[in-house]
Amino acid sequence: MPWYVYLALKQLYSTWQRFFFTGISVLSVALGVWLLLVVLSVMGGFSEKIGEMTQDTAGDIQITAEATIPDPASLQRVVDAVPGVVASAPFAQGFVVILYGDKPVLPVLEGIDPAAVEKVTPLHKFIRLGSLDDLDDDSIILSSILAEQIGAGLGSKVDVYSPAQLTHWGRADEAILPRELTVVGIFEIGHQQLDKSTAIVTLRTMQDLYDLGSGVHGLEVKIAPGRDVQAVTNAINRTLARAQGRTLRPVPGLWAQSWKTSNADFLWAVRMEKAIMTFILLAVVVVAAFLTMSLLIVLVLKKTREIGLFAALGATRAQVAACFCLQGVFIGIVGTALGLVFGFVSLHYRNEIISFVLRFTGGEEAFANVYQFTQLPAHTSGSDLTTIVVSALVLSTLAGAIPALLAARLNPVEALRNE
Amino acid sequence: MSDVLTARGLRKFYRSGDRTIEVLRGVDLALAPGESVSIRGESGSGKSTLLHLLAALDRPDAGEVRWEGTADLGARRRGRFVGMVFQAFYLVPELSARENILLAARIGGGIGAESRQRTEELLQAVGLRERGHHYPGQLSGGERQRVAVARALMNRPRLILADEPTGNLDERTGDEVIELLMGLCATTSTALALVTHNAAHAAKAARSLLLHEGVLRPL
Repeated sequence: MPWYVYLALKQLYSTWQRFFFTGISVLSVALGVWLLLVVLSVMGGFSEKIGEMTQDTAGDIQITAEATIPDPASLQRVVDAVPGVVASAPFAQGFVVILYGDKPVLPVLEGIDPAAVEKVTPLHKFIRLGSLDDLDDDSIILSSILAEQIGAGLGSKVDVYSPAQLTHWGRADEAILPRELTVVGIFEIGHQQLDKSTAIVTLRTMQDLYDLGSGVHGLEVKIAPGRDVQAVTNAINRTLARAQGRTLRPVPGLWAQSWKTSNADFLWAVRMEKAIMTFILLAVVVVAAFLTMSLLIVLVLKKTREIGLFAALGATRAQVAACFCLQGVFIGIVGTALGLVFGFVSLHYRNEIISFVLRFTGGEEAFANVYQFTQLPAHTSGSDLTTIVVSALVLSTLAGAIPALLAARLNPVEALRNE
Repeated sequence: MSDVLTARGLRKFYRSGDRTIEVLRGVDLALAPGESVSIRGESGSGKSTLLHLLAALDRPDAGEVRWEGTADLGARRRGRFVGMVFQAFYLVPELSARENILLAARIGGGIGAESRQRTEELLQAVGLRERGHHYPGQLSGGERQRVAVARALMNRPRLILADEPTGNLDERTGDEVIELLMGLCATTSTALALVTHNAAHAAKAARSLLLHEGVLRPL
């Protein structure tokens, strides 16, 4: 081992006093890395969770129009032929009034084709009670909070009123009767808004309720794993433009949109928040670097005569500089490693930690309402990890480089004469 | 045999405010292998300055120093050619006595089994074999200077420059250190330039010189 590496390591923990000061520097770097890792991972988790949830509930791409799509089968044939598309499923959705006993709610009712939907969205994995297989034209699946709000459970019969029925209002020969549906399932996605205000019926039921005939509101599209969603979306849009008027009846505003585009505002906000938080939390690492630098400057001043001795023993200026700079590097490496360990452990137990804190402070419900998730999501991307590690190491190295330059610039003769 | 060191017409100036002080005014010195020379002089007479020039830690304003005929002694070669002993020992407090001696070898080019063996021999030679694992703070002044002497000899240098090595020691310990230093230099044919205020120590060298008013004269 070169002498400057050996001595740099020795000087970091040679005495309890040195070990203490080194420890403070290491912990301050670790604290910065820890905070950066946890905050960026949780923000990344929100972003990823939203994306995952959108893909799980609405497919990778949604094709919608300004009017009802009258011939979904033809549209499906056209879309399914686009390279990269694995499957598509028609849907129709709209607000309805659901009445159970004397408790009304106003959810979005989603009409799906049970035979096709599983190829596009894994709805079964959100079913908590009952089964998706039991869904027929006389039944409904409610979201968990909505079911709890009205007190409905499996087997409950709910009345569903749709806005389309209002068109029959006032006709003497017609009475407005609700559609009675039996609850055959309860689902929970984990997103407060969706779990509070969504219900699922078959596409036929929804078409009846909204007087759609055989029309639908759109298609949900699943693409092959690894394919660029935006590229496939663009390909679909080109195909739709070509097919309309030829193999497809023209529909105004027929347009495919990827999940990324439909959540663009949210994703942009998360990116901005991440950038701001990175900038703010990097200040912690900068402070740690200043702490390390001041520690090493004091060391250089204290070791002035030894620096003269090293020169007398044959050390070059570069080696003397390396001896002090490496101490900053080692503090950075150990601090970063420690910060990553703290960070990953905190992320692993994040939900337990949040529950523990909320148990004392209260507000579990408020947390879910504000953040929409019952569990705190986390996702550490490679780029975030690289940003954190590189920033911490570069700042720590710079913190060591300045005292190192001071040491290297010392005149050996003056250093040896230093009192 | 050629001289280990030759210095010709060394001059050195220092600026002090508006004044220029000429500390060395043409110093000539030659040292043969194994030869010992003592240099005495008043405080501030330029003894340490002269040693720094002889160790190539500083450059003369005029004149030149040659080490075995070579005018350039780079940092790396200095570590192997010259061993230095200082008044204040300058041991690295984070290293044990053994590691302090070995540090000279580390800086001089790396360590191996041979340098570890030599460290043990030097510890034995300076009478500290049992105290090699002790740190400078656990050693007496005399013991620290013995470690410094062993460190100076570690790389088998051709020249030892000792700058008042007994200045911080009591008389008896100082005598022991000088005996040790001169004995080891003699047995290893290492040239020695000893700067001292002590007349008795100076008299033990083969040649005694006086640095007075910037010029080196025989005593």
